[in-house]
Amino acid sequence: MNDIATYCSATYTWGQFTPAFILIGIAAVLLMADTFIKALPKRAYALTAAIGALLVACLTVSGEHTNAYSFLACLATGLSILLAYDYTKVSCASIAGGSNDEGTGEFYALPLVACAGILCLTQAADLIMVFVSLEVVTLTSYVLAGYFRRNQGSIEAGIKYLVLGAMSTGILVFGAAWYFGMSGTFILDSSVVIDTLRVGSVAPGTVAIGFLMAVALLFLGAFFKVGAAPMHVWIPDVYQGAPTPTTTFLAVASKTAGFALLCALVVPFRDLAIPGVLVADMLVCVFGIVAAATLLIGNLGALFQSNAKRLLGYSSIGQAGFILVFFVNLSGPVEALTFQYLMAYTLATVAAFFAIAMVRTQRGSEEICAFRGLGKTNPRTAFLIVVSFASLAGVPLTMGFLVKMASFISLVTVMQSWTCLVWLLPIMVVTAAAGFYYYFKIIRAMYWEKPQAEDKPLCVPFCTACVMTACAIALIVLGTWPLIGSFR
Amino acid sequence: MTIPLAHYLIFSGILFSIGLAGVLIRRNILVVFMCLEMMLSAANISLVAFSRAQGTEGIPVYDAQVLSLFIVAIAAAEVSIGLALIVAMFRARRTVDSSALNTLKD
Repeated sequence: MNDIATYCSATYTWGQFTPAFILIGIAAVLLMADTFIKALPKRAYALTAAIGALLVACLTVSGEHTNAYSFLACLATGLSILLAYDYTKVSCASIAGGSNDEGTGEFYALPLVACAGILCLTQAADLIMVFVSLEVVTLTSYVLAGYFRRNQGSIEAGIKYLVLGAMSTGILVFGAAWYFGMSGTFILDSSVVIDTLRVGSVAPGTVAIGFLMAVALLFLGAFFKVGAAPMHVWIPDVYQGAPTPTTTFLAVASKTAGFALLCALVVPFRDLAIPGVLVADMLVCVFGIVAAATLLIGNLGALFQSNAKRLLGYSSIGQAGFILVFFVNLSGPVEALTFQYLMAYTLATVAAFFAIAMVRTQRGSEEICAFRGLGKTNPRTAFLIVVSFASLAGVPLTMGFLVKMASFISLVTVMQSWTCLVWLLPIMVVTAAAGFYYYFKIIRAMYWEKPQAEDKPLCVPFCTACVMTACAIALIVLGTWPLIGSFR
Repeated sequence: MTIPLAHYLIFSGILFSIGLAGVLIRRNILVVFMCLEMMLSAANISLVAFSRAQGTEGIPVYDAQVLSLFIVAIAAAEVSIGLALIVAMFRARRTVDSSALNTLKD
Protein backbone atom coordinates (compact mmCIF):
# COMPACT_ATOMS: atom_id res chain seq x y z
CA MET A 1 0.00 0.00 0.00
CA ASN A 2 2.95 2.32 0.60
CA ASP A 3 3.91 2.25 -3.05
CA ILE A 4 0.40 3.44 -3.90
CA ALA A 5 0.89 6.38 -1.53
CA THR A 6 4.13 7.34 -3.22
CA TYR A 7 2.45 6.88 -6.60
CA CYS A 8 -0.30 9.30 -5.54
CA SER A 9 2.11 11.96 -4.39
CA ALA A 10 4.11 11.55 -7.57
CA THR A 11 1.05 11.87 -9.82
CA TYR A 12 0.17 15.44 -8.94
CA THR A 13 2.44 18.44 -8.75
CA TRP A 14 1.45 21.89 -7.54
CA GLY A 15 2.59 23.27 -10.87
CA GLN A 16 0.01 21.48 -12.93
CA PHE A 17 -2.78 23.25 -11.07
CA THR A 18 -1.40 26.75 -11.67
CA PRO A 19 -4.19 27.74 -14.12
CA ALA A 20 -6.82 26.60 -11.61
CA PHE A 21 -5.14 28.58 -8.82
CA ILE A 22 -5.09 31.69 -11.00
CA LEU A 23 -8.82 31.35 -11.66
CA ILE A 24 -9.60 30.82 -7.98
CA GLY A 25 -7.45 33.86 -7.16
CA ILE A 26 -9.33 36.08 -9.60
CA ALA A 27 -12.65 34.80 -8.26
CA ALA A 28 -11.60 35.47 -4.65
CA VAL A 29 -10.46 39.00 -5.48
CA LEU A 30 -13.74 39.69 -7.28
CA LEU A 31 -15.82 38.33 -4.40
CA MET A 32 -13.88 40.46 -1.91
CA ALA A 33 -14.26 43.53 -4.10
CA ASP A 34 -17.96 42.79 -4.43
CA THR A 35 -18.27 42.83 -0.65
CA PHE A 36 -16.08 45.79 0.25
CA ILE A 37 -16.01 48.17 -2.74
CA LYS A 38 -19.65 49.08 -3.25
CA ALA A 39 -18.97 51.94 -5.66
CA LEU A 40 -17.59 49.80 -8.49
CA PRO A 41 -20.16 49.02 -11.21
CA LYS A 42 -20.79 45.26 -11.31
CA ARG A 43 -20.22 45.10 -15.07
CA ALA A 44 -16.54 45.79 -14.40
CA TYR A 45 -16.41 42.43 -12.58
CA ALA A 46 -17.84 40.70 -15.63
CA LEU A 47 -15.15 42.15 -17.88
CA THR A 48 -12.36 41.30 -15.43
CA ALA A 49 -13.62 37.74 -14.99
CA ALA A 50 -14.05 37.19 -18.73
CA ILE A 51 -10.60 38.56 -19.56
CA GLY A 52 -9.08 36.46 -16.77
CA ALA A 53 -10.69 33.28 -18.07
CA LEU A 54 -9.63 33.98 -21.65
CA LEU A 55 -6.04 34.72 -20.55
CA VAL A 56 -5.92 31.44 -18.64
CA ALA A 57 -7.23 29.79 -21.82
CA CYS A 58 -4.16 31.22 -23.63
CA LEU A 59 -2.00 29.74 -20.86
CA THR A 60 -3.40 26.26 -21.53
CA VAL A 61 -2.70 26.35 -25.28
CA SER A 62 1.06 26.01 -25.06
CA GLY A 63 3.86 25.36 -22.64
CA GLU A 64 3.73 22.99 -19.67
CA HIS A 65 0.01 23.46 -18.98
CA THR A 66 -1.14 22.30 -22.43
CA ASN A 67 -4.46 20.52 -22.14
CA ALA A 68 -7.12 20.52 -24.83
CA TYR A 69 -10.09 20.15 -22.48
CA SER A 70 -8.79 22.86 -20.12
CA PHE A 71 -8.47 25.22 -23.07
CA LEU A 72 -12.02 24.51 -24.16
CA ALA A 73 -13.40 24.93 -20.64
CA CYS A 74 -11.63 28.27 -20.09
CA LEU A 75 -12.71 29.54 -23.50
CA ALA A 76 -16.32 28.54 -22.86
CA THR A 77 -16.32 30.09 -19.38
CA GLY A 78 -14.84 33.35 -20.67
CA LEU A 79 -17.42 33.56 -23.45
CA SER A 80 -20.33 32.77 -21.13
CA ILE A 81 -19.21 35.55 -18.76
CA LEU A 82 -19.01 37.91 -21.73
CA LEU A 83 -22.59 36.91 -22.49
CA ALA A 84 -23.50 37.76 -18.87
CA TYR A 85 -21.91 41.18 -19.51
CA ASP A 86 -24.33 41.84 -22.36
CA TYR A 87 -27.22 40.37 -20.37
CA THR A 88 -27.04 42.76 -17.38
CA LYS A 89 -30.41 44.34 -18.13
CA VAL A 90 -32.25 41.06 -17.59
CA SER A 91 -29.91 40.03 -14.73
CA CYS A 92 -30.59 43.20 -12.75
CA ALA A 93 -34.34 42.90 -13.25
CA SER A 94 -34.36 39.25 -12.17
CA ILE A 95 -32.02 39.52 -9.17
CA ALA A 96 -32.68 42.80 -7.34
CA GLY A 97 -35.61 44.08 -9.40
CA GLY A 98 -35.49 47.15 -11.61
CA SER A 99 -32.15 48.43 -12.87
CA ASN A 100 -30.40 48.08 -9.49
CA ASP A 101 -27.27 45.91 -9.89
CA GLU A 102 -27.13 44.94 -6.19
CA GLY A 103 -26.20 41.27 -5.72
CA THR A 104 -25.16 40.56 -9.29
CA GLY A 105 -21.43 40.43 -8.51
CA GLU A 106 -21.23 36.71 -7.68
CA PHE A 107 -22.96 35.87 -10.92
CA TYR A 108 -19.76 36.86 -12.73
CA ALA A 109 -17.28 35.40 -10.24
CA LEU A 110 -18.79 31.94 -9.67
CA PRO A 111 -18.23 30.60 -13.23
CA LEU A 112 -14.50 31.07 -12.62
CA VAL A 113 -14.67 28.76 -9.58
CA ALA A 114 -16.54 26.17 -11.62
CA CYS A 115 -13.97 26.50 -14.39
CA ALA A 116 -11.18 25.90 -11.88
CA GLY A 117 -13.01 22.70 -10.92
CA ILE A 118 -13.07 21.62 -14.56
CA LEU A 119 -9.33 22.31 -14.89
CA CYS A 120 -8.68 20.02 -11.90
CA LEU A 121 -11.01 17.40 -13.36
CA THR A 122 -9.06 17.29 -16.61
CA GLN A 123 -5.90 16.53 -14.59
CA ALA A 124 -7.51 13.90 -12.39
CA ALA A 125 -5.87 10.48 -12.25
CA ASP A 126 -7.78 9.04 -9.29
CA LEU A 127 -11.36 8.99 -8.11
CA ILE A 128 -10.90 11.27 -5.07
CA MET A 129 -9.70 14.04 -7.36
CA VAL A 130 -12.51 13.26 -9.79
CA PHE A 131 -15.15 13.48 -7.08
CA VAL A 132 -13.94 16.68 -5.43
CA SER A 133 -13.34 18.61 -8.64
CA LEU A 134 -16.63 17.40 -10.10
CA GLU A 135 -18.46 18.64 -7.02
CA VAL A 136 -16.77 22.02 -7.31
CA VAL A 137 -18.27 22.27 -10.79
CA THR A 138 -21.74 20.99 -9.93
CA LEU A 139 -22.24 22.87 -6.64
CA THR A 140 -21.38 26.15 -8.38
CA SER A 141 -23.67 25.26 -11.25
CA TYR A 142 -26.62 24.73 -8.87
CA VAL A 143 -26.15 28.24 -7.50
CA LEU A 144 -25.81 29.71 -10.99
CA ALA A 145 -28.88 27.87 -12.30
CA GLY A 146 -31.07 29.17 -9.48
CA TYR A 147 -29.51 32.63 -9.39
CA PHE A 148 -32.44 34.67 -10.78
CA ARG A 149 -34.49 34.48 -7.63
CA ARG A 150 -37.31 36.67 -8.96
CA ASN A 151 -37.80 34.30 -11.86
CA GLN A 152 -39.97 31.21 -11.26
CA GLY A 153 -38.27 29.27 -14.05
CA SER A 154 -34.80 29.86 -12.66
CA ILE A 155 -35.67 28.63 -9.15
CA GLU A 156 -37.40 25.60 -10.60
CA ALA A 157 -34.39 24.87 -12.79
CA GLY A 158 -32.10 25.21 -9.77
CA ILE A 159 -34.10 22.76 -7.66
CA LYS A 160 -34.52 20.21 -10.45
CA TYR A 161 -30.83 20.38 -11.26
CA LEU A 162 -29.89 20.06 -7.60
CA VAL A 163 -32.08 17.01 -6.92
CA LEU A 164 -31.05 15.13 -10.05
CA GLY A 165 -27.43 16.25 -9.77
CA ALA A 166 -27.15 15.18 -6.16
CA MET A 167 -28.69 11.83 -7.09
CA SER A 168 -26.06 11.31 -9.77
CA THR A 169 -23.37 12.33 -7.28
CA GLY A 170 -24.65 9.68 -4.88
CA ILE A 171 -24.53 7.08 -7.64
CA LEU A 172 -21.01 8.12 -8.68
CA VAL A 173 -19.68 8.04 -5.16
CA PHE A 174 -21.24 4.65 -4.44
CA GLY A 175 -19.49 3.45 -7.57
CA ALA A 176 -16.23 4.93 -6.31
CA ALA A 177 -16.65 3.07 -3.01
CA TRP A 178 -17.08 -0.24 -4.82
CA TYR A 179 -14.21 0.55 -7.19
CA PHE A 180 -12.02 0.93 -4.12
CA GLY A 181 -13.45 -2.16 -2.46
CA MET A 182 -12.74 -4.37 -5.46
CA SER A 183 -9.38 -2.99 -6.58
CA GLY A 184 -7.91 -1.61 -3.33
CA THR A 185 -7.09 1.76 -4.86
CA PHE A 186 -8.76 4.86 -6.31
CA ILE A 187 -6.25 5.21 -9.14
CA LEU A 188 -7.73 5.10 -12.64
CA ASP A 189 -5.18 3.10 -14.56
CA SER A 190 -5.25 0.24 -17.03
CA SER A 191 -2.98 -1.91 -14.85
CA VAL A 192 -5.43 -1.61 -11.94
CA VAL A 193 -8.35 -2.57 -14.17
CA ILE A 194 -6.55 -5.53 -15.71
CA ASP A 195 -5.28 -6.83 -12.35
CA THR A 196 -8.72 -6.58 -10.77
CA LEU A 197 -10.42 -8.38 -13.63
CA ARG A 198 -7.76 -11.11 -13.70
CA VAL A 199 -8.10 -11.87 -9.99
CA GLY A 200 -11.83 -12.05 -10.60
CA SER A 201 -11.45 -14.64 -13.33
CA VAL A 202 -9.42 -16.91 -11.02
CA ALA A 203 -11.74 -16.64 -8.02
CA PRO A 204 -15.08 -17.52 -9.68
CA GLY A 205 -16.03 -14.11 -11.04
CA THR A 206 -17.15 -12.50 -7.80
CA VAL A 207 -14.66 -9.63 -7.76
CA ALA A 208 -15.23 -9.00 -11.44
CA ILE A 209 -18.98 -8.62 -10.96
CA GLY A 210 -18.56 -6.12 -8.12
CA PHE A 211 -15.99 -4.27 -10.17
CA LEU A 212 -18.22 -4.10 -13.21
CA MET A 213 -21.06 -2.78 -11.04
CA ALA A 214 -18.70 -0.09 -9.72
CA VAL A 215 -17.69 0.89 -13.24
CA ALA A 216 -21.32 0.96 -14.37
CA LEU A 217 -22.24 3.31 -11.51
CA LEU A 218 -19.27 5.55 -12.33
CA PHE A 219 -20.35 5.69 -15.97
CA LEU A 220 -23.90 6.62 -14.91
CA GLY A 221 -22.49 9.57 -12.97
CA ALA A 222 -20.51 10.67 -16.02
CA PHE A 223 -23.54 10.20 -18.31
CA PHE A 224 -25.43 12.68 -16.12
CA LYS A 225 -22.81 15.36 -16.78
CA VAL A 226 -22.79 14.86 -20.55
CA GLY A 227 -26.56 14.40 -20.75
CA ALA A 228 -26.54 10.87 -22.17
CA ALA A 229 -29.66 8.76 -22.39
CA PRO A 230 -30.75 7.38 -19.04
CA MET A 231 -29.56 10.50 -17.22
CA HIS A 232 -30.65 13.21 -19.66
CA VAL A 233 -33.98 14.22 -18.07
CA TRP A 234 -32.63 17.36 -16.42
CA ILE A 235 -31.27 18.94 -19.58
CA PRO A 236 -34.36 20.43 -21.29
CA ASP A 237 -35.86 21.85 -18.08
CA VAL A 238 -32.64 23.24 -16.67
CA TYR A 239 -31.51 24.71 -19.99
CA GLN A 240 -34.85 26.44 -20.45
CA GLY A 241 -35.21 27.75 -16.91
CA ALA A 242 -31.65 28.76 -16.02
CA PRO A 243 -30.38 32.27 -16.85
CA THR A 244 -29.07 32.28 -20.43
CA PRO A 245 -25.40 32.89 -19.45
CA THR A 246 -25.64 29.92 -17.07
CA THR A 247 -27.27 27.81 -19.77
CA THR A 248 -24.35 28.65 -22.02
CA PHE A 249 -21.93 27.63 -19.30
CA LEU A 250 -23.78 24.34 -18.70
CA ALA A 251 -24.08 23.60 -22.42
CA VAL A 252 -20.42 24.07 -23.24
CA ALA A 253 -18.11 24.18 -20.20
CA SER A 254 -20.02 21.65 -18.09
CA LYS A 255 -20.37 19.31 -21.06
CA THR A 256 -16.62 19.54 -21.63
CA ALA A 257 -16.14 18.53 -17.99
CA GLY A 258 -18.46 15.57 -18.51
CA PHE A 259 -16.54 14.31 -21.52
CA ALA A 260 -13.19 14.85 -19.77
CA LEU A 261 -14.55 12.65 -16.97
CA LEU A 262 -15.88 10.03 -19.39
CA CYS A 263 -12.47 9.91 -21.14
CA ALA A 264 -10.71 9.48 -17.80
CA LEU A 265 -13.02 6.57 -16.96
CA VAL A 266 -12.82 4.89 -20.36
CA VAL A 267 -9.10 5.17 -21.08
CA PRO A 268 -8.10 2.45 -18.53
CA PHE A 269 -10.21 0.01 -20.56
CA ARG A 270 -8.55 0.83 -23.85
CA ASP A 271 -6.00 -1.99 -23.65
CA LEU A 272 -8.86 -4.48 -23.30
CA ALA A 273 -10.63 -3.32 -26.46
CA ILE A 274 -10.19 -6.55 -28.43
CA PRO A 275 -13.17 -8.39 -29.96
CA GLY A 276 -13.92 -11.50 -27.93
CA VAL A 277 -12.85 -10.06 -24.57
CA LEU A 278 -16.02 -10.08 -22.48
CA VAL A 279 -15.47 -6.66 -20.91
CA ALA A 280 -14.77 -5.06 -24.27
CA ASP A 281 -17.91 -6.59 -25.80
CA MET A 282 -19.97 -5.31 -22.89
CA LEU A 283 -18.51 -1.80 -23.09
CA VAL A 284 -19.03 -1.57 -26.84
CA CYS A 285 -22.63 -2.79 -26.49
CA VAL A 286 -23.38 -0.38 -23.63
CA PHE A 287 -21.91 2.61 -25.43
CA GLY A 288 -23.67 1.62 -28.65
CA ILE A 289 -27.06 1.42 -26.92
CA VAL A 290 -26.51 4.61 -24.91
CA ALA A 291 -25.37 6.49 -28.01
CA ALA A 292 -28.39 5.28 -29.98
CA ALA A 293 -30.86 6.18 -27.22
CA THR A 294 -29.23 9.58 -26.73
CA LEU A 295 -29.34 10.33 -30.45
CA LEU A 296 -33.00 9.35 -30.72
CA ILE A 297 -34.18 11.18 -27.59
CA GLY A 298 -32.22 14.34 -28.31
CA ASN A 299 -32.98 14.71 -31.99
CA LEU A 300 -36.58 13.50 -32.02
CA GLY A 301 -37.42 15.48 -28.87
CA ALA A 302 -36.10 18.66 -30.49
CA LEU A 303 -38.44 18.36 -33.47
CA PHE A 304 -41.49 19.75 -31.66
CA GLN A 305 -39.93 22.50 -29.53
CA SER A 306 -40.98 26.12 -29.90
CA ASN A 307 -38.69 27.60 -27.23
CA ALA A 308 -35.23 28.26 -28.62
CA LYS A 309 -33.38 27.51 -25.35
CA ARG A 310 -35.26 24.25 -24.87
CA LEU A 311 -34.52 23.36 -28.49
CA LEU A 312 -30.81 23.89 -27.86
CA GLY A 313 -31.16 21.71 -24.74
CA TYR A 314 -32.44 18.80 -26.81
CA SER A 315 -29.87 19.61 -29.46
CA SER A 316 -27.12 19.32 -26.85
CA ILE A 317 -28.41 15.83 -25.95
CA GLY A 318 -28.37 14.93 -29.64
CA GLN A 319 -24.85 16.26 -30.15
CA ALA A 320 -23.67 14.31 -27.09
CA GLY A 321 -25.03 11.21 -28.87
CA PHE A 322 -22.75 11.84 -31.84
CA ILE A 323 -19.79 12.28 -29.48
CA LEU A 324 -20.65 9.03 -27.67
CA VAL A 325 -20.23 7.21 -30.96
CA PHE A 326 -16.50 7.98 -30.67
CA PHE A 327 -16.49 6.06 -27.41
CA VAL A 328 -17.88 2.97 -29.14
CA ASN A 329 -14.61 2.85 -31.05
CA LEU A 330 -12.55 2.49 -27.87
CA SER A 331 -9.23 1.71 -29.53
CA GLY A 332 -9.45 4.79 -31.76
CA PRO A 333 -8.20 8.31 -30.89
CA VAL A 334 -11.20 9.00 -28.61
CA GLU A 335 -9.79 12.07 -26.86
CA ALA A 336 -8.68 13.92 -30.00
CA LEU A 337 -11.95 13.27 -31.84
CA THR A 338 -14.03 14.26 -28.81
CA PHE A 339 -12.05 17.47 -28.50
CA GLN A 340 -12.62 18.35 -32.16
CA TYR A 341 -16.34 17.67 -31.91
CA LEU A 342 -16.61 19.69 -28.69
CA MET A 343 -14.73 22.55 -30.33
CA ALA A 344 -17.21 22.72 -33.21
CA TYR A 345 -20.13 22.31 -30.81
CA THR A 346 -18.80 25.02 -28.46
CA LEU A 347 -18.23 27.62 -31.17
CA ALA A 348 -21.67 27.09 -32.72
CA THR A 349 -23.60 26.80 -29.44
CA VAL A 350 -22.01 29.87 -27.88
CA ALA A 351 -22.93 31.94 -30.94
CA ALA A 352 -26.47 30.56 -30.85
CA PHE A 353 -26.90 31.48 -27.18
CA PHE A 354 -25.55 34.98 -27.80
CA ALA A 355 -28.24 35.36 -30.46
CA ILE A 356 -30.96 34.04 -28.14
CA ALA A 357 -29.86 36.37 -25.33
CA MET A 358 -29.89 39.34 -27.69
CA VAL A 359 -33.39 38.52 -28.94
CA ARG A 360 -34.58 37.91 -25.36
CA THR A 361 -33.22 41.24 -24.12
CA GLN A 362 -34.70 43.29 -26.95
CA ARG A 363 -37.84 41.45 -27.99
CA GLY A 364 -38.65 39.96 -24.57
CA SER A 365 -39.13 36.38 -25.75
CA GLU A 366 -37.09 33.21 -26.22
CA GLU A 367 -39.59 31.59 -28.57
CA ILE A 368 -38.42 30.72 -32.07
CA CYS A 369 -41.03 33.08 -33.56
CA ALA A 370 -39.23 36.00 -31.85
CA PHE A 371 -36.51 35.55 -34.49
CA ARG A 372 -39.02 36.50 -37.21
CA GLY A 373 -37.78 38.73 -39.98
CA LEU A 374 -34.21 39.12 -38.69
CA GLY A 375 -33.07 38.42 -42.24
CA LYS A 376 -34.76 41.69 -43.29
CA THR A 377 -34.05 43.87 -40.27
CA ASN A 378 -30.52 42.67 -39.37
CA PRO A 379 -29.12 40.88 -42.44
CA ARG A 380 -25.54 40.61 -41.18
CA THR A 381 -26.46 39.28 -37.73
CA ALA A 382 -28.91 36.88 -39.37
CA PHE A 383 -26.10 35.50 -41.52
CA LEU A 384 -23.92 34.89 -38.45
CA ILE A 385 -26.82 33.03 -36.80
CA VAL A 386 -27.26 30.96 -39.97
CA VAL A 387 -23.59 29.94 -39.87
CA SER A 388 -23.80 28.73 -36.29
CA PHE A 389 -27.03 26.76 -36.77
CA ALA A 390 -25.81 25.35 -40.08
CA SER A 391 -22.71 24.12 -38.29
CA LEU A 392 -24.81 22.49 -35.57
CA ALA A 393 -26.85 20.77 -38.29
CA GLY A 394 -23.70 19.69 -40.12
CA VAL A 395 -23.89 21.61 -43.40
CA PRO A 396 -20.76 21.09 -45.55
CA LEU A 397 -18.09 23.83 -45.50
CA THR A 398 -18.64 24.36 -41.77
CA MET A 399 -16.73 22.63 -38.99
CA GLY A 400 -19.90 20.89 -37.86
CA PHE A 401 -19.91 18.83 -41.07
CA LEU A 402 -16.37 17.58 -40.62
CA VAL A 403 -16.81 16.46 -37.03
CA LYS A 404 -20.14 14.77 -37.77
CA MET A 405 -18.44 12.95 -40.64
CA ALA A 406 -15.69 11.89 -38.22
CA SER A 407 -18.41 10.40 -36.02
CA PHE A 408 -19.74 8.32 -38.97
CA ILE A 409 -16.22 7.26 -39.96
CA SER A 410 -15.54 6.20 -36.39
CA LEU A 411 -18.62 3.95 -36.41
CA VAL A 412 -17.71 2.42 -39.77
CA THR A 413 -14.21 1.69 -38.42
CA VAL A 414 -15.48 -0.05 -35.33
CA MET A 415 -17.98 -2.07 -37.40
CA GLN A 416 -15.04 -3.92 -38.95
CA SER A 417 -14.38 -5.52 -35.55
CA TRP A 418 -17.91 -5.54 -34.11
CA THR A 419 -20.28 -6.16 -37.02
CA CYS A 420 -23.20 -6.36 -34.59
CA LEU A 421 -23.21 -2.53 -34.48
CA VAL A 422 -24.65 -2.17 -37.99
CA TRP A 423 -28.04 -1.08 -36.59
CA LEU A 424 -26.47 2.11 -35.19
CA LEU A 425 -25.73 3.48 -38.67
CA PRO A 426 -29.36 4.03 -39.83
CA ILE A 427 -30.15 5.64 -36.46
CA MET A 428 -27.29 8.09 -36.97
CA VAL A 429 -28.45 8.89 -40.51
CA VAL A 430 -32.06 9.49 -39.43
CA THR A 431 -31.11 11.65 -36.44
CA ALA A 432 -28.64 13.71 -38.47
CA ALA A 433 -31.43 14.34 -40.98
CA ALA A 434 -33.83 15.30 -38.16
CA GLY A 435 -31.22 17.85 -37.08
CA PHE A 436 -31.56 19.65 -40.39
CA TYR A 437 -35.30 20.04 -39.80
CA TYR A 438 -35.20 21.59 -36.36
CA TYR A 439 -32.09 23.76 -36.72
CA PHE A 440 -33.56 25.21 -39.89
CA LYS A 441 -36.75 26.17 -38.04
CA ILE A 442 -34.87 29.19 -36.68
CA ILE A 443 -33.32 29.98 -40.06
CA ARG A 444 -36.79 29.73 -41.64
CA ALA A 445 -38.23 32.10 -39.03
CA MET A 446 -35.52 34.63 -39.85
CA TYR A 447 -35.89 34.60 -43.63
CA TRP A 448 -39.36 33.31 -44.49
CA GLU A 449 -41.47 35.11 -41.92
CA LYS A 450 -42.21 38.80 -42.44
CA PRO A 451 -41.12 41.21 -39.69
CA GLN A 452 -44.12 42.74 -37.97
CA ALA A 453 -44.72 46.48 -37.89
CA GLU A 454 -43.50 46.95 -34.31
CA ASP A 455 -40.27 44.94 -34.86
CA LYS A 456 -37.39 47.36 -34.84
CA PRO A 457 -33.95 46.21 -36.00
CA LEU A 458 -32.02 44.76 -33.04
CA CYS A 459 -29.10 46.85 -31.88
CA VAL A 460 -26.23 44.39 -31.54
CA PRO A 461 -24.14 44.90 -28.37
CA PHE A 462 -20.37 45.11 -28.84
CA CYS A 463 -19.39 41.81 -27.14
CA THR A 464 -22.17 39.92 -28.93
CA ALA A 465 -21.01 41.26 -32.30
CA CYS A 466 -17.36 40.36 -31.63
CA VAL A 467 -18.06 36.86 -30.31
CA MET A 468 -20.59 35.91 -32.98
CA THR A 469 -18.30 37.13 -35.77
CA ALA A 470 -15.30 35.32 -34.30
CA CYS A 471 -17.28 32.08 -33.88
CA ALA A 472 -18.66 32.23 -37.42
CA ILE A 473 -15.22 32.90 -38.92
CA ALA A 474 -13.67 30.11 -36.87
CA LEU A 475 -16.40 27.65 -37.89
CA ILE A 476 -15.99 28.42 -41.59
CA VAL A 477 -12.18 28.56 -41.56
CA LEU A 478 -11.82 25.33 -39.58
CA GLY A 479 -14.47 23.74 -41.78
CA THR A 480 -12.82 24.62 -45.10
CA TRP A 481 -9.17 24.36 -44.05
CA PRO A 482 -8.82 20.59 -44.68
CA LEU A 483 -10.27 21.09 -48.20
CA ILE A 484 -7.83 23.89 -48.99
CA GLY A 485 -5.04 21.76 -47.56
CA SER A 486 -5.96 18.81 -49.78
CA PHE A 487 -5.91 20.91 -52.97
CA ARG A 488 -2.40 22.19 -52.37
CA MET B 1 -16.72 -11.23 17.61
CA THR B 2 -16.20 -9.17 14.48
CA ILE B 3 -18.95 -8.27 12.07
CA PRO B 4 -18.10 -9.57 8.58
CA LEU B 5 -17.69 -7.17 5.67
CA ALA B 6 -20.75 -8.54 3.87
CA HIS B 7 -23.07 -7.27 6.60
CA TYR B 8 -21.84 -3.72 6.17
CA LEU B 9 -22.18 -3.97 2.41
CA ILE B 10 -25.71 -5.34 2.57
CA PHE B 11 -26.68 -2.62 5.03
CA SER B 12 -25.22 0.13 2.87
CA GLY B 13 -26.84 -1.38 -0.21
CA ILE B 14 -30.24 -1.30 1.49
CA LEU B 15 -29.66 2.28 2.66
CA PHE B 16 -28.67 3.29 -0.87
CA SER B 17 -31.77 1.65 -2.38
CA ILE B 18 -34.08 3.31 0.14
CA GLY B 19 -32.47 6.67 -0.63
CA LEU B 20 -32.76 6.19 -4.39
CA ALA B 21 -36.38 5.04 -4.13
CA GLY B 22 -37.19 8.01 -1.90
CA VAL B 23 -35.69 10.47 -4.37
CA LEU B 24 -37.75 8.99 -7.17
CA ILE B 25 -41.04 8.51 -5.27
CA ARG B 26 -41.45 11.18 -2.60
CA ARG B 27 -43.07 14.51 -3.49
CA ASN B 28 -41.95 16.69 -0.56
CA ILE B 29 -38.62 18.24 -1.52
CA LEU B 30 -37.34 18.26 2.06
CA VAL B 31 -37.86 14.49 2.25
CA VAL B 32 -36.17 14.13 -1.14
CA PHE B 33 -33.20 15.97 0.33
CA MET B 34 -33.00 13.61 3.29
CA CYS B 35 -33.05 10.70 0.86
CA LEU B 36 -30.17 12.25 -1.09
CA GLU B 37 -28.17 12.48 2.13
CA MET B 38 -29.00 8.84 2.79
CA MET B 39 -27.45 7.84 -0.53
CA LEU B 40 -24.24 9.65 0.39
CA SER B 41 -24.22 8.05 3.85
CA ALA B 42 -24.57 4.63 2.24
CA ALA B 43 -21.46 5.35 0.18
CA ASN B 44 -19.66 6.47 3.34
CA ILE B 45 -20.48 3.24 5.17
CA SER B 46 -19.21 1.14 2.26
CA LEU B 47 -16.05 3.22 2.06
CA VAL B 48 -15.21 2.86 5.73
CA ALA B 49 -16.03 -0.86 5.69
CA PHE B 50 -13.86 -1.40 2.61
CA SER B 51 -11.03 0.62 4.10
CA ARG B 52 -10.95 -1.77 7.07
CA ALA B 53 -11.29 -4.84 4.89
CA GLN B 54 -8.50 -3.82 2.51
CA GLY B 55 -6.13 -2.97 5.36
CA THR B 56 -3.41 -5.20 6.72
CA GLU B 57 -2.54 -5.93 10.38
CA GLY B 58 -5.38 -3.83 11.72
CA ILE B 59 -4.28 -0.69 9.87
CA PRO B 60 -6.98 0.45 7.44
CA VAL B 61 -6.26 1.97 4.02
CA TYR B 62 -6.78 5.64 4.74
CA ASP B 63 -7.52 6.64 1.11
CA ALA B 64 -11.13 5.55 1.49
CA GLN B 65 -11.58 7.35 4.79
CA VAL B 66 -10.19 10.54 3.24
CA LEU B 67 -12.81 10.28 0.50
CA SER B 68 -15.55 9.74 3.08
CA LEU B 69 -14.46 12.93 4.88
CA PHE B 70 -14.63 14.80 1.58
CA ILE B 71 -18.11 13.39 1.03
CA VAL B 72 -19.27 14.66 4.43
CA ALA B 73 -17.95 18.15 3.69
CA ILE B 74 -19.45 18.29 0.22
CA ALA B 75 -22.80 16.93 1.41
CA ALA B 76 -22.94 19.81 3.89
CA ALA B 77 -22.27 22.32 1.11
CA GLU B 78 -24.91 20.68 -1.05
CA VAL B 79 -27.51 20.89 1.72
CA SER B 80 -26.82 24.57 2.33
CA ILE B 81 -27.36 25.34 -1.36
CA GLY B 82 -30.41 23.12 -1.47
CA LEU B 83 -32.05 24.71 1.56
CA ALA B 84 -31.42 28.15 0.09
CA LEU B 85 -33.17 27.10 -3.10
CA ILE B 86 -36.06 25.57 -1.14
CA VAL B 87 -36.51 28.81 0.81
CA ALA B 88 -36.55 30.74 -2.47
CA MET B 89 -39.10 28.31 -3.86
CA PHE B 90 -41.29 28.57 -0.76
CA ARG B 91 -41.24 32.37 -0.98
CA ALA B 92 -42.29 32.23 -4.61
CA ARG B 93 -44.95 29.50 -4.44
CA ARG B 94 -45.87 28.95 -0.76
CA THR B 95 -45.26 25.22 -1.08
CA VAL B 96 -42.36 22.74 -1.12
CA ASP B 97 -44.18 20.06 -3.06
CA SER B 98 -42.34 18.91 -6.17
CA SER B 99 -45.58 18.66 -8.16
CA ALA B 100 -45.69 22.48 -8.00
CA LEU B 101 -42.55 22.53 -10.16
CA ASN B 102 -44.48 22.66 -13.42
CA THR B 103 -43.44 25.91 -15.14
CA LEU B 104 -40.96 24.14 -17.37
CA LYS B 105 -42.31 21.35 -19.50
CA ASP B 106 -42.79 20.31 -23.10
